[in-house]
Amino acid sequence: MSLFGMLGATARALEAQRFGLDVVGNNLANVNTPGYTKRVADLGAVAPVDRFSAGSGVEMLGVRAMRDRLYDRRLFDELPLEQYEAATADAAGLAEVALGSPGTSIDNALADFFDAFAGLADAPASSTARQQVVTDTQALAASFKGMASRLDESAAAADTRLRGEVERLNALTERLASLNASIATSPVSQTLQLRDQQIEVAKELSGILGTQVVEIANGTLQVTTRTGRPLVLSDTAYPVTASSTPPQGYATLQSNGVDITADITDGRIGGLLQVRDTLIPTYKRELDTLAYGVATAVNTVHATGYDLTGASGGALFVRPGAVAGAAAALTVNAAVVANPSLLAAAAVASPGDNGVARQLANLRDGAIVNGTTPAAAWTSLVYRVGADVNRAETERDSRTELVQQIELLRDSVSGVSIDEEAAMMMRFQRAYEANARFFTVIDETIETLLSLKR
Amino acid sequence: MLRVTFNTLFRNTLRDVQRTGAEFARAQQQVSSGKRLQQASDDPTSAATGLQERSELRAIDRYRGANDSVDSRLRVVDTVLSDLISGLTVAQTRGAAGRTTVLTPEQREAVALEIEGVRESSLTAVNTSYRGMYLFAGSRSTTAPYSRTGNTVSGYQGDTTVVSIDIARTSSTAVSVDGGAMLQGGAAQDVFNTLAALAAAVRSGNMTAIDTGLTEIDAAFERVTQVQSRVGAALSALPGERARLDELRRASDTRRSQAEEISLSAAITEMTRAQQAQQAAIAAAGTNQQVTLLDYLR
Repeated sequence: MSLFGMLGATARALEAQRFGLDVVGNNLANVNTPGYTKRVADLGAVAPVDRFSAGSGVEMLGVRAMRDRLYDRRLFDELPLEQYEAATADAAGLAEVALGSPGTSIDNALADFFDAFAGLADAPASSTARQQVVTDTQALAASFKGMASRLDESAAAADTRLRGEVERLNALTERLASLNASIATSPVSQTLQLRDQQIEVAKELSGILGTQVVEIANGTLQVTTRTGRPLVLSDTAYPVTASSTPPQGYATLQSNGVDITADITDGRIGGLLQVRDTLIPTYKRELDTLAYGVATAVNTVHATGYDLTGASGGALFVRPGAVAGAAAALTVNAAVVANPSLLAAAAVASPGDNGVARQLANLRDGAIVNGTTPAAAWTSLVYRVGADVNRAETERDSRTELVQQIELLRDSVSGVSIDEEAAMMMRFQRAYEANARFFTVIDETIETLLSLKR
Repeated sequence: MLRVTFNTLFRNTLRDVQRTGAEFARAQQQVSSGKRLQQASDDPTSAATGLQERSELRAIDRYRGANDSVDSRLRVVDTVLSDLISGLTVAQTRGAAGRTTVLTPEQREAVALEIEGVRESSLTAVNTSYRGMYLFAGSRSTTAPYSRTGNTVSGYQGDTTVVSIDIARTSSTAVSVDGGAMLQGGAAQDVFNTLAALAAAVRSGNMTAIDTGLTEIDAAFERVTQVQSRVGAALSALPGERARLDELRRASDTRRSQAEEISLSAAITEMTRAQQAQQAAIAAAGTNQQVTLLDYLR
């Protein structure tokens, strides 16, 4: 190669080292940018022009992003499962708080209720003992009602969160669609940062609900639900709508007019749906069974007794005909509240007899709620809620561990290491210095050549 | 070789600081609240055990309360029965003293008045009420078992149902007495009429009638003593039952406490450990990337 050609090649080499420094600078600038993948400057040697040339220097091939699609895919798969458990633990945790602490909740109201009958058995004709029974019966009914409404509130809270997630989902699909549009219409070399954002958005989407993400040849991402309903196709986003549905007015999810609520089984939406539609209704059913069982057994025994005037006992509780909704609807017979002497404590028509009061007090140990005692039924409900939350938390923790492992691996490929960039910086800087020196040498050589003439 | 990046270090450090922080907060809360469980989900099995034991404790407390109530009520019954027995003993001795022909009419009158006094005190005794409940009227605790109009005592106003109270899951104790069965039983007339007849017989010196009266009082004495020995037996069984309930309560409370509460020494040790772990994590975060290759570049 001629000396002048070498000057040109060296200028290109300086340019290449500057380019390298530029990439290092960009990496360092984005060390904290979420989703940023480390860039690498691709340099290539230029082929020699003939066999008497060492080569024609270096050329800049472009910038490459260090991305491993396998890890992205693993994240898209694992995130919905992690977020599902996290949302379940959070939302069911609210229901758990609603249950109250031991000794201040339904357990206490039940014990007080049966104790009041024991007190009545001790002094069947006492107006104080009778008033105590009425008060504790009202308190028990109020506890059931309060618990039912707190469980409803927990379900409503899950529903509110669900609507928030749907809004977030639609914002994200909208954004992904516009990113897709830009990527499809821009030259590949200028879309690296768009692709970083694209992956970041898709990752966030997977946290909201389980998705299938397919990369199309032009670099756009096609995102569908696990059952194949489109969320983003090319540059079009398909919004999911949350519409209130009777009886409770909870949101059902529609995509393109089709109800997809039942299709969503993971992600935060899946977790919230699970709590709202499966877990809390199960808890409410158990609570209803407990309230219904107690009310039915008490009424049955109470009806066999006689009140202070010797008349047969009526109903103590007014309860609905079916188990469903029993806890919320349970009330105390207004006639008994107004006149506690209507409480039937006696097994024979005699004011001092306590036969029925004793039986009622002993219902505490009676298998009156699905074959168990009322206290055991309550314990089983508390255990169920606690175990559900505990399971979700444990599962969430192990899933989080898994996600973190994947992110660690992803970072090891795509992350920016300051030390590494420092080394690269030094490398390009030294190379620049060396090339500059070489440039000077060629320059001096040319000068020598020109001075031959003088 | 795993490439360690700035983000890796940052993420790991943050996670460790958060995790150790949460552990410390939890340990601290356990120590300050004295509770092992803040929520059922902390340990569902222990939470269920705690609830079961709490329910058991309430049941035991109920029986323990009933036991005390039965005890005080039976003590009143016992006292009344003692009064009745001593009255009947007086009637027996005075009746026997009147069964002689050597007494002057004034002396006979004095004996008769004493017997009538016994009748009076027996009536008061059997009409004893405790916390507003007549103890000797069977289950008709709101009605006095015997009432008096002028000098006539009514027939038994109560019933034959004996009221019982549960003092344990498997045992109950009778707390009211069928006054009719005790004071009349199978006899032709109740003890008040017997005493009145005896007083009249002593007054008139009718030896046959005195003999009949004394025999009937002997029978009444027998019936009352029988009742008292039943009451005595029930009373003496109560302390044993109480001790058993107290024992059950202690055992149940221990189980509840084990399920719900912390062992303070263990919890404080755990808190100290968690605190050290947190401090170590924070200190490690401080040293993180203190030195990079950049420091050596000129």
